[in-house]
Amino acid sequence: MPKELIEIKNLVKIYPPETLAVNQVDLIIKEGEIHALIGENGAGKSTLMKVLYGMIPFNSGSIYLDNKKIDFKSPREAVQAGIGMVHQEFMLIHKYTIYENVILGVEPTAKFGLLKQKESKKRVQKIIDNYQLKLNPDDRIEDISVAARQKVEILKLLYRDVDILILDEPTAVLTPQEIEELFARLKSLKKAGKTIIFISHKLNEVLELADSVTVMRQGKKVATMTNEGLSKADLARAMVGRDVVFSIEKEAAQPADIICQIKDLSFIDNHKKKRLDKLNFTIRAGEIVGIAGVEGNGQFELVQVISGLIDNYQGEIIINNNSLKKLSILERRKLLAYVPQDRKNTGSAQALSLIENTIMTHHQINTRLTGKFDYLLNKKASRDLTREIIDDYQVLSSGPAAKISSLSGGNQQKLIVGREFAMATDFILLDNPTRGLDVGSIEFIQQQIIKSRDQGTAILLISADLDELFSLADRLVVIHQGRITAEKLPEATDKEEIGEYMLGARRDEIR
Amino acid sequence: MKLLIELIRSTMLAATPILLASLGGTYTYYANIFNIAMEGMMLIGAFFAVLGSYLSGSWLIGLLAGVGGGLLAALIFVFFAVYMKTDEFVTGIALNMFALGGTTYLLRQIFSVKGAFTSSKIIGIPSWEIPIIDQIPVLGKLLSGYPFIVYLALLLAILVEIHIYKTKFGLRLRATGEDDQTVDSVGINSDQIKSISIILSGVLSGLGGVFLSLGYVTLFAENMSNGRGWIALAVIILTRGRPLGLLMMSLLFGFFDGLGLTLQGTMIPSQITQMVPYLATLVALYFYSKEKRPKEEKPNESLAV
Repeated sequence: MPKELIEIKNLVKIYPPETLAVNQVDLIIKEGEIHALIGENGAGKSTLMKVLYGMIPFNSGSIYLDNKKIDFKSPREAVQAGIGMVHQEFMLIHKYTIYENVILGVEPTAKFGLLKQKESKKRVQKIIDNYQLKLNPDDRIEDISVAARQKVEILKLLYRDVDILILDEPTAVLTPQEIEELFARLKSLKKAGKTIIFISHKLNEVLELADSVTVMRQGKKVATMTNEGLSKADLARAMVGRDVVFSIEKEAAQPADIICQIKDLSFIDNHKKKRLDKLNFTIRAGEIVGIAGVEGNGQFELVQVISGLIDNYQGEIIINNNSLKKLSILERRKLLAYVPQDRKNTGSAQALSLIENTIMTHHQINTRLTGKFDYLLNKKASRDLTREIIDDYQVLSSGPAAKISSLSGGNQQKLIVGREFAMATDFILLDNPTRGLDVGSIEFIQQQIIKSRDQGTAILLISADLDELFSLADRLVVIHQGRITAEKLPEATDKEEIGEYMLGARRDEIR
Repeated sequence: MKLLIELIRSTMLAATPILLASLGGTYTYYANIFNIAMEGMMLIGAFFAVLGSYLSGSWLIGLLAGVGGGLLAALIFVFFAVYMKTDEFVTGIALNMFALGGTTYLLRQIFSVKGAFTSSKIIGIPSWEIPIIDQIPVLGKLLSGYPFIVYLALLLAILVEIHIYKTKFGLRLRATGEDDQTVDSVGINSDQIKSISIILSGVLSGLGGVFLSLGYVTLFAENMSNGRGWIALAVIILTRGRPLGLLMMSLLFGFFDGLGLTLQGTMIPSQITQMVPYLATLVALYFYSKEKRPKEEKPNESLAV
């Protein structure tokens, strides 16, 4: 029976004025286990861990480490006590080398504060070798991959002799192959005696990796379970509080006429780097084409080229027989609806109301909103449109006049999706439409996407979530370094194969 | 020959205050603080140096008072820009205006003079005659006999280079400039690093001011920093803060400053000769940006292949 390493008792954390983020949570972490902490966004799992790590103070309750009461005032104290955390957003100095990042904050020095470079570099190298991290300490962070950066974060903690590692959604940024590598590494860290706390909302991963699982919902702990005979459905029910449909039900697609054609599309950026390299594909009415790829392989540029934020591209984008080349963004918006990835900055204006956010773009195009004079907006029509979307898309809010920032992320996104789908265009561009949302909202939005497809819309779906691509897309296009490496039917392939194409390990000759 | 020696000597003298202020400002440059207050810090340093030296009759007290004045100005900057989170640019402007108005006011109140205050009671910084070398005919004239702050400034250029690139503080300083949140996340107080960098810039700019009023000349004049803090800022931006680069650039500006002074003896109106250092700034900016451009493009061409 392994001993109880961390004991959290009756912990309460209130974000002023009155958001109860963590509500009377008890939690026990045993020595040498991998403990998964799961829950939807806003369930309080990250907050709980940040409290443990000394990043934010708590209101009441107590925390024990090795039966000693602790109350860290800063992460520094937590690290000294042997607890380290890898955040979702990496905390690395991009212009520094791996070595410099590792020693920053705990620099070994000689007289006059001069750095002892040789000695400490040797120690960094030794840890890299011991844990087979396959890193070169002299590489700069800006030159290495996201997966390697994550390894640097772990290396930083190992260098500080941390025994307990907290990882906040570590797989969110990784490809399937990289995830496997991470899991193997975490298991070997466990073998070396480390205790690992793993925050996630991906149930498959939790079941594969964890020894025990704690589920949180709305700030409260639902249960802690040992990972024996647990199923995905068990966890999902605990997380959401009701049964969740995992596989979105959809009929086979009925592709009709070609709506969107991408022909030899290339884009070279200001640094003369080829971001898109002769892309060729088509999207027909009534089908969803999914773009798979590791982030930074051209998805961003593809979206910008189609939406019109980048206009110096080569090749052609044709929607409904119109070339987009000479069209302004407004003219393009008459042909395409667009759900951007960045909900807060691109998708909405956070300081404005639901009405104002709803009529964006519509106010220029939708004749329903204008009266006799097309430069005057009809207030009533605007309010009606907003009400309709609130009702149709189940947006939980205090009313159309509420500020959009008062809504949860999921509800904001429902409003944005509703607004775009109401454009009634034949083509919809979706850029990670469910990123960072709770399971319930994801389910709803995905159903709406299928519904729109069944009504004959041509949809281009760009997503970093392979599960989403597999459950929604009728065809998958894989890109690597701006080039198409494969075009596959989801039912004729699997995630591992797509992962190989995403990493460029395999490449089909496409046309 | 004599003219050339004079020109080199005046170059060294004119370069020193710019070098000191830019060495100070380079700390804030690396901490990514937009510090334009070197001008004001210098002016305050120059005033307090004269005041201290005049009242005590000791150049050392004058030096300490001047450095203390720069430090005080830096603490005001720290309080507003770091802890009250005010805009650095506005804070800098306010400090510069305050320095100009404040020293002018004090000059009139304490010494009851307008324009400039000069007195035999102001004890200047002693010059340093380097033994042996000052016996050598030309070399002695070139290298020996400057106020000792000149030598100190040269030494500081090397020390600052080591401090920023080889020490723990330097590592943390540059990291703070790149990404202060990351620095906080590894348990370093980035506000503290920023504060120290501003204080160092105040101390060094103050020392530059001391040199102006007790070394270059032995008097205090209204607005006697006369744009040197701004030139220091230009020097920092042009050289991207590398201390040895600062040394070279300061010498260049010192040369043009000295050239301006030398030309004053000729037919050219003094208003024109005074423009020389500033014209040199513009010319330097032009060549700097011209030289920079192809360099930036080179690595990218290789990427495109």
